[in-house]
Amino acid sequence: MNDIHIKGVHEAFFVPTVNFDSKTGICELEGESYLEETIKFYTPLFAWIKEYTETVKGPLHFNFKLSYFNTSSSKCLVDILDMLKKYQKEGGDVEVNWYYDDSEEELEEVEDFILETGLDINIIPISEEQK
Amino acid sequence: MVKKKEKYDFSLYEYHNLMNQNILVSYKGPIDERIMTVIGENILLVTNDGGDKAKNKIFKVFMELAQNVWLYSAESCKLENGKSVGLGTLVVSECGNSYTFVTGNVVNNADVVPVIEKCETINSLDRDSLREYRREQRRLANEGKPNSGNIGLIQVALTAESPLDIELTPVNDDESFLSIAVKISKDNFRNS
Repeated sequence: MNDIHIKGVHEAFFVPTVNFDSKTGICELEGESYLEETIKFYTPLFAWIKEYTETVKGPLHFNFKLSYFNTSSSKCLVDILDMLKKYQKEGGDVEVNWYYDDSEEELEEVEDFILETGLDINIIPISEEQK
Repeated sequence: MVKKKEKYDFSLYEYHNLMNQNILVSYKGPIDERIMTVIGENILLVTNDGGDKAKNKIFKVFMELAQNVWLYSAESCKLENGKSVGLGTLVVSECGNSYTFVTGNVVNNADVVPVIEKCETINSLDRDSLREYRREQRRLANEGKPNSGNIGLIQVALTAESPLDIELTPVNDDESFLSIAVKISKDNFRNS
């Protein structure tokens, strides 16, 4: 199974950095997500998670470090979290960390992702991570 | 015979003076994602109080409001790349302790009722209920608008921590001009 590596870009659109590693199950989404075609960008990421959870069936450790994402990206992020929740329900080993920049609003948004998907997410202030 | 010079029937001076009234940025024309990014980043240059968190808030509000024009304007034009984008107007002004963002575009009367209803719902909800509404509406996204999260206006109200001020002006029997304004108090930058 292939890994996914996408280098983040901040131009007219903001492409997040993506590193999905099929050997370790460590997956990172970092930077900013504001895309020309949001669903087109996220579809291969959904496909990767589907393949990994159906064939490799190893642990999945997700780290979200997004400083900005628009509302259409947020829909795709919820879709990813839904897939992780489904895998967890089926017995998969899933850990999700969400790094945020101490803003109350972002904290609320992640809390809403937890309520929306039923998935446990470790919310970690970036300042704490840097200590 | 020398052709008589036609008088240009528009006073740029008056327009300029009008635009001087606390207006930091104004734009009228096609609005697509590329234009939004350029204007959004320019807005950050002229609203530079409050640090990174304030910038994030301002940028988020601007991008969602502008995207609304891009997706829902009844007036559109074709760009060089063949892509059709919405036409609209954006204004950012500063008055005392707040910034106001206003977007306006022509809408088909047939399409405007759900937008007005959504704005009224947003304005009637407290913050917790608004967050619940965002969760619920996000689940309904992608129906008909593949790149829409269905929650842009809800996000604007949550980020700005302020109600949406909507105004509908009839243009003709079929169309109206819809403007949506939202205020961001600079006090919010300290709390965010």
